Amino acid sequence: MSSLVHEIRNQLAVAVANVEAFRDGVLEPTPARLTAVLDALQQIETLLREIPPGEPQR
Amino acid sequence: MDATERGPAAWVTEPGEIVTVVTRRTVLVVDDEPALVEVLEQYLRDDGFDVVSAGDGPLALELFERRRPDLVLLDINLPSWPGTEVLRRMRALRDVPIIMLTGRVDEIDRVVGLELGADDYVGKPFSPREVVARVKSVLRRTERREVPSKSNERRVGAITIDLAAHDVQLDGKPVTLTPTQFKILEVLSSHVGQTLTRDQLLQRVSVDGDVFDRTLDRHIANLRARIETEPANPRYIVTVFGVGYKMVDPS
Repeated sequence: MSSLVHEIRNQLAVAVANVEAFRDGVLEPTPARLTAVLDALQQIETLLREIPPGEPQR
Repeated sequence: MDATERGPAAWVTEPGEIVTVVTRRTVLVVDDEPALVEVLEQYLRDDGFDVVSAGDGPLALELFERRRPDLVLLDINLPSWPGTEVLRRMRALRDVPIIMLTGRVDEIDRVVGLELGADDYVGKPFSPREVVARVKSVLRRTERREVPSKSNERRVGAITIDLAAHDVQLDGKPVTLTPTQFKILEVLSSHVGQTLTRDQLLQRVSVDGDVFDRTLDRHIANLRARIETEPANPRYIVTVFGVGYKMVDPS
């Protein structure tokens, strides 16, 4: 469970950092980078599904 | 510039320090997510840093030795070796500030605590701007720590003040001062020959808000009792009537 949360945070970090970089004009939102963000979000979705129901949400 | 005239911020102008101040600093970024590394690299470069990066422990250590970074951003969760192992090995080689990146809130205490001795941590997800701010703040902190102890020594006549160790010696013999007395001596000795008004002294001494106008004279009197051979006829800390005090070098 803790490694699951960890992996979710990891993927969130990829998405958040990239979107912030686009907003700040630090990186161009190229198709490759947008794909990386999308991949991260899709991975989060997959990971969320692995959380067993009824587990404490920490 | 004479050593006795240096203000507390003068460490920047130490000959040995100039190199670290004007040289571009190198940050080593270690994380196994290339899409995250790319963002950190660009933010750091935009801020004037040289950046090298690695996706695993072995490469991180190789770059650590070859590129001699001034600071390391290190993900705690790496393939092959755990980030904590990388940290331990780096520390065994050189004392470089290390900021951990971690998605594990339960690891933070262990990472930053004495056990591993990271200088700071940033939890994932993070704002890249925040990471750059932390990098700068840790560098400021650690560079100050690295000032050689000699430059922290100040001499006025027979008085030697070690600003880092908070030690004062008179003719080579240790003098015991209270923190407030030390602070007053520190402020006065950084302006030898210059009169400081009571307000100026109070402002600089009273960081903790515990020294008030009325008690300043008493602190000065107590300080004189410890560093003056004739406290009633002071040679070092002179009263400038109606204005304040000044420290003079009698030698």
